[in-house]
Amino acid sequence: MSDDNWRPQIVAFVCQWCTYAGADLAGTSRIKYDPNVRIVKLPCSGRIGPLFLLKAFEQGADGVLVSGCHPGDCHYVSGNLLARRRFTVFRELLIFLGLEPERLQFSWVSAAEAVKWTEVVDAVTAQIRALGPRRQGWGAEARLQTSNSKAQSLEAQPGTRNLKPGTQKAVEEGIRRIARQLLQTGEAGVIVGYGNGTLKDVTTPLFVTEPEGVEQLVWNERCLNNLSVYLTREPVTRLGRVGIVAKGCDARALVALLQEHQIERDKVTIIGVQCAGMAENGRLAARCAVCDVHTPPLYDHLVEDRALDTGDWAEGDPRDREIAALEALTPAERWAYWQEQFARCIRCYACRAVCPLCYCETCIADKTQPQWVPPAFDARGNLSWNIVRAFHQAGRCIGCDECARVCPAHIRLDLINRKLALLIRDAYGYRAGYDATVAPPLTTFRPEDRAEFIR
Amino acid sequence: MARIGVFVCHCGENIAGTVDVEAVTQVAARLPGVAHAEHYRYMCSDPGQKLLIEAIKEKHLTGVVVAACSPSMHEMTFRGAAVEGGLNPYLSEMANIREQCSWVHDDKAAATAKAIDLVRLMVEKVRRNRPLQPITVPVTKRALVIGGGIAGIQAALDLANGGHQVILVEREPSIGGHMAQLSETFPTLDCSQCILTPRMVEVSRHPNITLLTYSEVEEIGGYVGNFQVKIRRKPRYVIEEKCTNCGDCAVVCPQVVPNEFEGGLSWRRAIYTPFPQAVPAVYTLDEEACLGLHPLVCEKCFQACEAKAIDLNMKPEIVEVEVGAIIVATGYDLFAAEQARELGWGRFPDVVTGLEFERLLSASGPTSGQMRCPSDGRVPKEVVFIQCVGSRDPEQGVPYCSKICCMYTAKHAMLYKHKVPDGQAYVFYMDVRAGGKGYEEFVNRAMQEDRVLYVRGRVSKVFEEDGRLKVWGVDTLTGQPLEIAADLVVLATAMVANTEHDTLAKQLRAIADEHGFYQEAHPKLRPVETLTAGLYLAGAVQAPKDIPETVAQASAAAGKVQALFSRDELQREPVVARVNELSCEGCFDCQKVCPYGAITPEEIRDREGNLLRRVSNVNVGLCEGCGACVVACRNHSIELEGFTDEQIYGEIVALWPMPERAPERVTVKAQRRPRIS
Repeated sequence: MSDDNWRPQIVAFVCQWCTYAGADLAGTSRIKYDPNVRIVKLPCSGRIGPLFLLKAFEQGADGVLVSGCHPGDCHYVSGNLLARRRFTVFRELLIFLGLEPERLQFSWVSAAEAVKWTEVVDAVTAQIRALGPRRQGWGAEARLQTSNSKAQSLEAQPGTRNLKPGTQKAVEEGIRRIARQLLQTGEAGVIVGYGNGTLKDVTTPLFVTEPEGVEQLVWNERCLNNLSVYLTREPVTRLGRVGIVAKGCDARALVALLQEHQIERDKVTIIGVQCAGMAENGRLAARCAVCDVHTPPLYDHLVEDRALDTGDWAEGDPRDREIAALEALTPAERWAYWQEQFARCIRCYACRAVCPLCYCETCIADKTQPQWVPPAFDARGNLSWNIVRAFHQAGRCIGCDECARVCPAHIRLDLINRKLALLIRDAYGYRAGYDATVAPPLTTFRPEDRAEFIR
Repeated sequence: MARIGVFVCHCGENIAGTVDVEAVTQVAARLPGVAHAEHYRYMCSDPGQKLLIEAIKEKHLTGVVVAACSPSMHEMTFRGAAVEGGLNPYLSEMANIREQCSWVHDDKAAATAKAIDLVRLMVEKVRRNRPLQPITVPVTKRALVIGGGIAGIQAALDLANGGHQVILVEREPSIGGHMAQLSETFPTLDCSQCILTPRMVEVSRHPNITLLTYSEVEEIGGYVGNFQVKIRRKPRYVIEEKCTNCGDCAVVCPQVVPNEFEGGLSWRRAIYTPFPQAVPAVYTLDEEACLGLHPLVCEKCFQACEAKAIDLNMKPEIVEVEVGAIIVATGYDLFAAEQARELGWGRFPDVVTGLEFERLLSASGPTSGQMRCPSDGRVPKEVVFIQCVGSRDPEQGVPYCSKICCMYTAKHAMLYKHKVPDGQAYVFYMDVRAGGKGYEEFVNRAMQEDRVLYVRGRVSKVFEEDGRLKVWGVDTLTGQPLEIAADLVVLATAMVANTEHDTLAKQLRAIADEHGFYQEAHPKLRPVETLTAGLYLAGAVQAPKDIPETVAQASAAAGKVQALFSRDELQREPVVARVNELSCEGCFDCQKVCPYGAITPEEIRDREGNLLRRVSNVNVGLCEGCGACVVACRNHSIELEGFTDEQIYGEIVALWPMPERAPERVTVKAQRRPRIS
């Protein structure tokens, strides 16, 4: 693919104190290097956002280089260490989606390392030159590339295990009893729970404001909704103090919301429910197979399920095998797989609406000054939207899978979320939604954080 | 409508030799928003700057891009020229086509293409630049000095003599610090008390110094020029103004505890002064040692005090002060000698640390300056000094060199020989590090004139045999193992960071290094400043130091503060973060990533005072403009002035200009809509 006349377009985002000064020194030392890199100067590598990288690729960059001060040298104390975590995650995300790792590179170059700067530029350029121009436009032509057999075999597998419903009736009674009591004593103005819906295989969120209404609250293996999403919705909070029915996974969302100051602990009453697992297509939902919060980590009242049996379900999340299979593909095959997935996106934003942690009233995708995420539902915009959504969930997603469940296009958002959750668990020992007092992983750092991908 | 001027510099042949400046200018002239483009031999020269100034005036430019050298070279020059032309300085940007283009590329076509890209990038940025005004903050011309050792004393005196108000806070009952404990000082063998106590007295008498002893800094808020400090005054149960320092109270006090000042080698009462020359010259009642602080338990001191200076009901008091600058001079601690178990400190009374040995040497010490063993008071005839106890020992102690031990060990050995001329002193050393004025000569004097025996090697064990200490070591120069029967063993323990550094560092937003010493802003060029503006370091809080270095740094810190206080207002670069309150969701991730503590929650209330929302608020006095908060914000409700999202977006998009559209109508073939599965 290499062509001597082809000039790769490479953008370098660099910090002004170390790398920019190092590049200046290369100039004063008259060290010659490849002329294909364009520098964008920023105060600190901590100011370099993933959106910059995304936009550069979207515009047509063949490669992107990010460079800052060595750990310990940051002019602003810790900007580069925060950047290191952000880019560890962002890079893994893009690689999971099929970007060749060589196209997105990172380096620490100090103000004295003029030679290193030229070596980095030359090496990065050479690698990208060897790869050739970006295989596809950012999302363009993706629809043509769906015939990859290996990728197609990765279609979602239904769960294989059967449900072991507990004593649903007794739990239901318990929920009603507590709900009635909360409403009668005025401790809650509204109870958010589950009621029977119009469709058979799914319940619907139910908002009960009168004690008589509690008889409509139900509990069964179809209570899939993560109701915590309503705690940040003004029409619900207007009804008064909220009492919420929460499964373990919902309670994890509540922990995350507490951590991000979106709810106040003393303004919510949590009716925790011991949950044996929920059903999807008549089988145990994938996430429930690895559930370790059958008893919610946070509650005010607990409704116990006497028959709760969590015994032999600990054989692992079936999606981990799917992720492994995807990772075994070549970048081109993975890229094709995800392009086909994202091509189906209609930008309905149901994933965003249903996510308890997508609470921003004005989403970055809705902001137009500047327009980081193209609004059109074409391949380019869809790719950017899905990357931004995934990255914004990194280290925060509590794995309730609601986004994937509600996606009308059946995009495997759950695989992306799970991939990032596993990465963050392994790299930073952090799992979202267990402890509201610790700092989220992308707002903190450790000096020994992994950095093997940084030149 | 933007009217940008682009000025391409030849820099003689430096740029023009590799970059086709004519081509760059022609392309620049056609860029959207560009109203003027020209090239000139030396833009930084007077005529070059005139061109720019005239163009701004004549063509009513709204921004300028100078394509020339690195902004670190001439950004200020062209910002100044922009101001002269009537533009806001922040509407001028530079495209770096020399250091990052012409000087590093040979291929003229490629270099020209790159230069054009860099110019286009900057034009797009400038189109989105906003005029910025420097931020001015008022300066409170009062300084806080934390720590009353020699560093704090020197800094406080320098500032006070310069005419500024100083608040000196010391946690112990008296100022003086470790230096007050020393017997003599190297390399001159001045008596430490003789040179220190006059300064201590000067501090207590100085009209510009407010001395708060037995006090600790509780809380620090604010920023350079405007710190708010809460100081906690511990109750000393003695009214400072009334105490006459007569000592009648101590005579009757029934409680006896080890005297910390004497390294536990002697005793003091529960009501005490740490040493005779203490400043302030008042007694302090140690509430932990006291029998009960209640007249029913014991009120002997209260009864004995004729001046009625004792108040058993005294409570802790919080003093709030506003200061413009803070000097941290909290000093050091000593490596806990019991950690070097093989050397026997704590097990054998005649194994002492260097500081304890200072007290044994001191005329005001427990032995009144007579050289005696702590165990039985005999005169030690054989003394072994062991250097590097904890220092240069990553396994048991700290990896760094404590710097002062070589010198004070030489001093100890010398002073010992002066007191016991027929005794023998041995020094076990790793290397003798005597860098400093008169230091090498001093060590040589110890070896040659005072016949101190220096042994290069380490000590493996100190133990007791037949009532005498035995020291096992090795002389690594001869390879001989040694056994020395010693009367006294003196350990030169490492200097380690003050254990309270960590909590104070968080308050001060200072950074402690891996060993707990405070980090200076730059190890060479800004050794007394910290990265927190308005916060300065003096003495061993930063790293192990001897007295001359400590005093020099203290004076340097005082000089920095005086320079700060020479202005009524501070001007700060307006490159700071700003919150968009309308879209901020109040998750405070920005607060978590801010290294300067510049972001705090702000409550938005309606007219009735009901809380509507909590949003982030940036204190522009604290913000240093790194932009970490901007990236942490998911819906981009924070902007960094000078590097806004708009600007960076413009720069990125500028690299791929929209392809020029063909003028004729484009026919679009109907395509099948994507099938949604």
